Amino acid sequence: MDYNLKMVRNYFKIAWRILLKQKLYSSIKIGGFSLGIAACLLISLFIQDELSYDQHYPNKNRLYRVISEANKSGKITKGISFPAPMAKALKNDYPEIEQVGRFNPNELFGAGSAEVRRGDKRENFYEEKITYADQGMLDILQVPMVYGDPKKALAEPNTIVISKTKADKYFPNENPVGKTLILNNNEKKPYKIGGVMEDFPSTSHLDFDFLLTLTGVEFWPGEQGTWMASNYATYIMLRPGADAAALEKKFPLIIEKYVIPSLIEAGNVDVKDVAKQGKIVLQPITDIHLNSADIMEYGSNHQSDIRFVWLFGAIAAFILIIAGINFINLSTAKSANRAKEVGLRKVLGTYRSNLVQQFLAESILYSAISFAVGLLLAWLLLPFFNTLAAKSLVFPWREWWLLPTMASAALVIGFLAGLYPSFYLSSFKPINVLKGNVSRGSKSAGTRSALVVFQFTASIILIVGTFIIYRQMNFILNKKIGFEKDQVLLIQGTHTLGDKVKTFKTELLRLPEVKSVSISDYLPIKGMKRNGNGFWKEGKHKEESATYGQMWRIDHDYIKTLGMKIVAGRDFSQEMATDSGAAIVNQALVKEMGLKNPIGARISNSWEHWTIVGVVEDFHFESLKENIRPMIMDLGHSPSVVAVKVKSADMPEFVQSVSSVWKSFAPDQAIRYTFLDQSYANMYADVQRMGRIFSSFAILAVIVACLGLFALSAFMVEQRSKEISIRLVLGASGYSIFRLLTQNFLKLVLIALVIAAPVAWYLMQKWLEDYEYRITINLDVFLIAGILAVVIAILTISYQSVRAAFMKPVDGLRAE
Amino acid sequence: MIKIENLEKVYRTEEVETKALNKVSLEVNEGEFVAIMGPSGCGKSTLLNILGLLDEPDGGSFKFLGTEIAKFNERNRADLRKRNIGFVFQSFNLIDELTVFENVELPLIYLGVGASERKEKVEKVLEKMQIMHRRNHFPQQLSGGQQQRVAVARAVINNPKLILADEPTGNLDSANGNEVMELLTELNEAGTTVIMVTHSEHDARYAHRVIRLLDGEVVMENVREQFTV
Repeated sequence: MDYNLKMVRNYFKIAWRILLKQKLYSSIKIGGFSLGIAACLLISLFIQDELSYDQHYPNKNRLYRVISEANKSGKITKGISFPAPMAKALKNDYPEIEQVGRFNPNELFGAGSAEVRRGDKRENFYEEKITYADQGMLDILQVPMVYGDPKKALAEPNTIVISKTKADKYFPNENPVGKTLILNNNEKKPYKIGGVMEDFPSTSHLDFDFLLTLTGVEFWPGEQGTWMASNYATYIMLRPGADAAALEKKFPLIIEKYVIPSLIEAGNVDVKDVAKQGKIVLQPITDIHLNSADIMEYGSNHQSDIRFVWLFGAIAAFILIIAGINFINLSTAKSANRAKEVGLRKVLGTYRSNLVQQFLAESILYSAISFAVGLLLAWLLLPFFNTLAAKSLVFPWREWWLLPTMASAALVIGFLAGLYPSFYLSSFKPINVLKGNVSRGSKSAGTRSALVVFQFTASIILIVGTFIIYRQMNFILNKKIGFEKDQVLLIQGTHTLGDKVKTFKTELLRLPEVKSVSISDYLPIKGMKRNGNGFWKEGKHKEESATYGQMWRIDHDYIKTLGMKIVAGRDFSQEMATDSGAAIVNQALVKEMGLKNPIGARISNSWEHWTIVGVVEDFHFESLKENIRPMIMDLGHSPSVVAVKVKSADMPEFVQSVSSVWKSFAPDQAIRYTFLDQSYANMYADVQRMGRIFSSFAILAVIVACLGLFALSAFMVEQRSKEISIRLVLGASGYSIFRLLTQNFLKLVLIALVIAAPVAWYLMQKWLEDYEYRITINLDVFLIAGILAVVIAILTISYQSVRAAFMKPVDGLRAE
Repeated sequence: MIKIENLEKVYRTEEVETKALNKVSLEVNEGEFVAIMGPSGCGKSTLLNILGLLDEPDGGSFKFLGTEIAKFNERNRADLRKRNIGFVFQSFNLIDELTVFENVELPLIYLGVGASERKEKVEKVLEKMQIMHRRNHFPQQLSGGQQQRVAVARAVINNPKLILADEPTGNLDSANGNEVMELLTELNEAGTTVIMVTHSEHDARYAHRVIRLLDGEVVMENVREQFTV
């Protein structure tokens, strides 16, 4: 056999035996390293997924979403909604633009969600992901079609394009093109299927199952021509070679040409600033997923934030570096055990280069095992990570690059991590070693201390972050929000009952458990029906600027059912016929409009007038991130949600009785319900996810830090074993030795606390500033996190310190 | 002062059993100066470690100041040790990170002596050992002879009844070695019992009595009426 090969085999053989001999150290070394690798791998998958959004469109480099930027006294708000004629104007006025398309996913116009059934069947199914779209949208995105002609699938009025998944659901094993779907039992307006498209990939910022055509649609007379209402997301495709930046510079013309004349026509006097305050820009479609955090969108679930990618990437790099340094520390910590072997080998004539090779082989062996374990660990943890990051990542076992990448990474990292230990260990001088004067590593512990401080700083920041997020969460869930969210059942999709919804309400009231019932789509939960209106004191249209706010259609029992509080005036009453022209407003509206005597005051929007009969105490109807905005409520019919306030606590049984009532009204439609308190909690799912991510990383950081600390305490005990023995000979107690060894590390942890506290305070304060309603950060979080870190550190060091304290005094002197 | 009978110490590995001490009996009276001699591996250091309460015997009886201590636990041994025994080692065993003053002070700290009293005592013993001028130096800055004088100073700081010296001159040249032997003799004449392990016949001549060990057993005891340098 070749000499070199024999040597290499010999290296690995020794490495393997040492691995088996030092079981504790080997498992910590491999365990810590593979944990780091697993975390890195998962985060890489996450980042890869995040960066792959909207890369699948054939013309992705020419596709842009149009963005509006409004500058109101220095505060810039960005939006994606444009007036209906915007798209056509862009195409007509700018030759650089090849094609345009529009979406309107707004609930207000019947998109968003609906009860859906086949034209030839009775049974309704609740569906979401419904939007209005242009044929132009299909053209510029080049949405791949399973059935139908992509060129004209949405070209005709009343056509619909559905996803493959939904085609399989409603029309299994058939080509549904030309068949009809009925939405919300509206048989007067059936939709003809123009095509079946492939599902949008999970890495698309757009995610729809039903595209309703905009051809021939006008939501109110003149709607398609007005520049005064903005409801359309507008996309463009540039001609090849066109320059987006140059095009943006020409957009102010749009405002001059269309917006300002419309404003003047509507009676606005002061229009000079409009051109200065508004701006139209283009956002590349590939930027949408990660760079839209500051853009207002309607209920997009697919929005992420480039900052998260950076944060995750930094954490991955951090974990890998720390794990690598731990690896090095553990290798050198056990150096004294290897010193004799090194000395002997040198006496027997080994070159230093052979020793370096030997130790590198050892390190690569450890690294390879760690990668194998890490890969397995990542695969096992992937489902958990998916929940954590709200992703549906798949482990890339089948990808050709996985094994080669992992193998070369194992080689490179094993080599790098082994470099220092191998040169350090191979530097032992044979005479010193054999005489017993083993150099036990440099005494300057500066870098190692810095490492501990660094690790614990990061851990404490994450611990503090976790505490604060959970406290804010708790605060949100227990805050007085102005309405009673408990014991309220929400039955959804009731608009399909048509006129019978009122009888349904009456029937429900017969149930003994029911306290009250209200019919209204407008509920104080984010994502429920919303609108926007400008209000004025009656007759002040031209003189005063509008107060913008919500206008909610409710019924007589709404305030009672949701447990809201009337602070002035009265609730709506069945006895008062005049209440059809009455309104209840919230305190925010009273304040913003400056109404001194709100009761009896007259207000109006552009087409309706009300007399205020009551003021309701401010209640939160958006997330606590936002201020409570003005709103008025009047009597009206908005029948898609029925809210039921319940007396009894036995909810399952009650839901049963409600279901049977429902069944007698809508035998072809499954009942769909939720509880108000659950919906409320769901609004803060992102906070909960943030909390879970933080606690997971905190735990990971603490584990990694502890492994490092463990290695270091082992190193230190080894380095100081002679000193410890001398002290024991001179009569030191076990406790004094324990204290001696522990206090140094505690100092480091305390330094970490001092560094971490202001950093954590600053970062979490920034996070909390997203919330209009938030907790204040108390000192006790730092105290608790500090105590936690100290306790964890002491426990980690204890193993080594206690061992040292119970050492026989002669043990450390034997080498002499 | 010390009376051991049939003392045994066995070292075990998985397969081999080595008897380091095999039924050793001896007696040391207060005020004696005893040298233990013998070839490498004869059990000298093991015996010294047991006499110094650093290690426990596996069998036999060990009476120290009239108390049977063979079965004492480490805590009790440590207690007895720090009050009664001072150690001098071949390789000095000073703590590198501490100054001369701090090294000598250490036993007093473990005895719970107050700071001002410690300072007074340490300065006194450093004067006596003539290394007061080196009080703020670290061990590595001293010569071997000076280091051993610091070690002797540390051994006597708490006025022990017994001093155990393990090859105290092994790392020193003859001039420094003699100086250390003179020191031990002075201490002995002042009433301290001294037990010393040595290879050197020259050093052994300072002792009243020489105990020779071979393969873990006492083979000879010579008593000297008079010793000559």
